[in-house]
Amino acid sequence: MIKLLFFYMFALSSVIAGIAIIFSTNIVRMAYWLIGMLLSLAGLYFLQGSYFLGVIQIIIYAGGVAVLMVFGVMLTSQQIAAQLRPKRWEVLWLLVTAIMLLAGIVSAILDARWSQERVQASNNVSDFGIHLLGKFLGPFELASILLIIALLGAAYLARPKVPTLKSENNPK
Amino acid sequence: MTELQHYLILAAALLVLGLSIIISKRNAIAILIGVEFILNAANLNIIAFSSHGIGGLDGQTAAIFIIVIAAAEAAVALAIFLNFYNIIATIDVDRGDKLRG
Repeated sequence: MIKLLFFYMFALSSVIAGIAIIFSTNIVRMAYWLIGMLLSLAGLYFLQGSYFLGVIQIIIYAGGVAVLMVFGVMLTSQQIAAQLRPKRWEVLWLLVTAIMLLAGIVSAILDARWSQERVQASNNVSDFGIHLLGKFLGPFELASILLIIALLGAAYLARPKVPTLKSENNPK
Repeated sequence: MTELQHYLILAAALLVLGLSIIISKRNAIAILIGVEFILNAANLNIIAFSSHGIGGLDGQTAAIFIIVIAAAEAAVALAIFLNFYNIIATIDVDRGDKLRG
């Protein structure tokens, strides 16, 4: 009963964060609602017993990726952009599409029968580490290569360049 | 409705919310926030299955890899957006409609 109460609290918090981002016009507020959603999902992971994943979500996602987005917002939102209000038929079209997609997925969830035998996953961090470096050793090494490539790519893309005026770019 | 289906329906709702954010926003960083919503919905789905007994520890390991890939993708995407801003001086994706800057 308490578990259901906590589930509804975290679930409502994450859905409210999503809806607030859709109706917000300030990009900094959107970034902070994203942090709210990430922390609500971390709470849900703790509720399900995946303590390691909950901590990883808070440290890396909310403490790394979301902070990176706030940095991006700080560097790229120097001038006030013109706020276009969406037309009514655009809002209606988005609402219809979203409700249809949600109805389709929910009907598929309610009709499915998960008929596999239940294997209780252990919540021990050492078991998780053995599993990560045992069965998932290949993806682990590939993930490290991916991180090195992403590091090099982002550092190369964001290097300081000599500023060129737009009038000096002569299209050939 | 079992407890597993509660989590799956929440993940579906987050996916639809993320898709709506991607569709309705013009700021490139807001679109990136929508992509993060979709990735977190997939993560919640996988961890829900893992914690209710289907799949064992594979779910949590896959979730770790999804977090790693999402972090790398967010970093590279922000580097691309910084270049975009340096050239066009705005982050509006509606202005990015020419093949040659």
